[in-house]
Amino acid sequence: MDTKELRTEEFTVNMGPHHPSTHGVCRFKLTMDGEVIVKAEPVIGYLHRALEKICENRTFPQCIPVMDRFEYCTSMSCNMVFALAVEKLAGIQVPERAEYLRVIMLELNRIASHLIWYGTTCLDLGALTPFLYAFREREDILDLFEMTCGQRLTYNYIRIGGVSRDIPEPFVPKARKFLDEFDARVDDYEALLNGNPIFITRNKDVGVMSKELALQYGVSGPALRASGVRFDLRRDDPYGIYDRFKFNIPVYHNGDCLDRYLVRMQEMRESAKIVRQALEQMPEGEIATKISPVFKAKEGEIYSRIENSRGEMGVYIKADGKEKKPYRVKMRGGSFNQLQVMPHLVVGHKIADVVAIMASLDIIMPEVDR
Amino acid sequence: MDREKLTAYLQEKFGDKIEALTCGPVEPFFLVKNKEEILQFCKDIRDDLELQIDYLCAITAVDTTEKFEIIYSVASVAKKIRFDYKVILDHDNPEIDSVIDAWAGADWYEREIWELYGVKIKNHPSLGQFLLPDDWNQGHPMRRDWDAPDFIRMPEF
Repeated sequence: MDTKELRTEEFTVNMGPHHPSTHGVCRFKLTMDGEVIVKAEPVIGYLHRALEKICENRTFPQCIPVMDRFEYCTSMSCNMVFALAVEKLAGIQVPERAEYLRVIMLELNRIASHLIWYGTTCLDLGALTPFLYAFREREDILDLFEMTCGQRLTYNYIRIGGVSRDIPEPFVPKARKFLDEFDARVDDYEALLNGNPIFITRNKDVGVMSKELALQYGVSGPALRASGVRFDLRRDDPYGIYDRFKFNIPVYHNGDCLDRYLVRMQEMRESAKIVRQALEQMPEGEIATKISPVFKAKEGEIYSRIENSRGEMGVYIKADGKEKKPYRVKMRGGSFNQLQVMPHLVVGHKIADVVAIMASLDIIMPEVDR
Repeated sequence: MDREKLTAYLQEKFGDKIEALTCGPVEPFFLVKNKEEILQFCKDIRDDLELQIDYLCAITAVDTTEKFEIIYSVASVAKKIRFDYKVILDHDNPEIDSVIDAWAGADWYEREIWELYGVKIKNHPSLGQFLLPDDWNQGHPMRRDWDAPDFIRMPEF
């Protein structure tokens, strides 16, 4: 054959929407040059449930179960961010014990969410064992949630003015037992992967995100801290009673998949520290301020934000002062920005690395599509 | 910077281009009076050394039935500042400049606003189908006068 006739051309590959590594339903239009990605374009909207529109026709307390569905891996945070915004808007005080219960639940939920991330990331990279380890510990946390509020996924626990019910008697001993063992368990997780040459090769220098790129795109949470920015809303814009606890903010500087993994492993230990302190300091007392189920918030607008396991979770609420419902609710999740920056990270890598990069950013689709 | 200091600083810096609003119970809230100046304002607060607004939290649109309001929630990671500002647009032919040049992360927020509210974003690279189905042809569903065909309004208490 005459060599002049040989040529290469770019072609398009559709990855997803039903691909197990997309953690929900997300599609990528990948333009490929051989095995190397030239351009990537996320196509979203498959999980759009119009939550913001639904909230406009609900009273304030009725919005909390809707918020549960916003980001189901950390429903506690979704409850919290909405409750926090309405409390600021309506000037509601939260009893001391409720504040501690909130912190305990939020941090346990953060650990549970990081454990899901740990398990599924390893699954995506072809390791099955870590998944089984992670879900064993997650089960303990879900048992704690179940004995408190009866639910394992959508808790509807943190309410406006407090929490829905007090913890039962076996909660504290069971939580302490879990925390006592937990640090050793994280050591186990790290022992499984930190020295594993396949895992390191798959993650090191893959999907490098510079500090400037991260900030340009509003990336937050562990992904931002892996790029060398020491920023955590729990410390830098404290909400609730987070200013009372001592904890470290792990920061790594390369911004690659491996650093994002290391940040999250450290964060699990720090969250366990916070729960221990909160269990120690928790006072007796009321668990909720009584509010009318059909109260009206004062006219006003607020954007309130908290540190979720996937970065900044925020909610904007506008109340018009006349209705018992919010006039407008806007939900902002960390994954929305993390997915937006992804096309910049995958260029020059192979298809298998898209899976690794998406897993390391911990993107969850219901949070993107709402 | 606390609320009073931030308000005083912004008012001194931008004079009568902005106005302090009272609708925010915690963080300060401003109105940018001229919608044509929005991109310049975003760039100015980003490049200002005292503010260093390097982080865009979210862009929200609100349909008040008479006007559209676009709310920018911004923050500074370096200086730990957070505030909001809004612009007001006509309801008939809403148009606003894209602020992608100030923060690249504005891209998807603006696509969402175009699709769900029908607010036209000028100089945006790719407005089009985003969250809604590919064959959607029923208008802009987040507008206040839009209801789904099978929608039942909650009874008043």
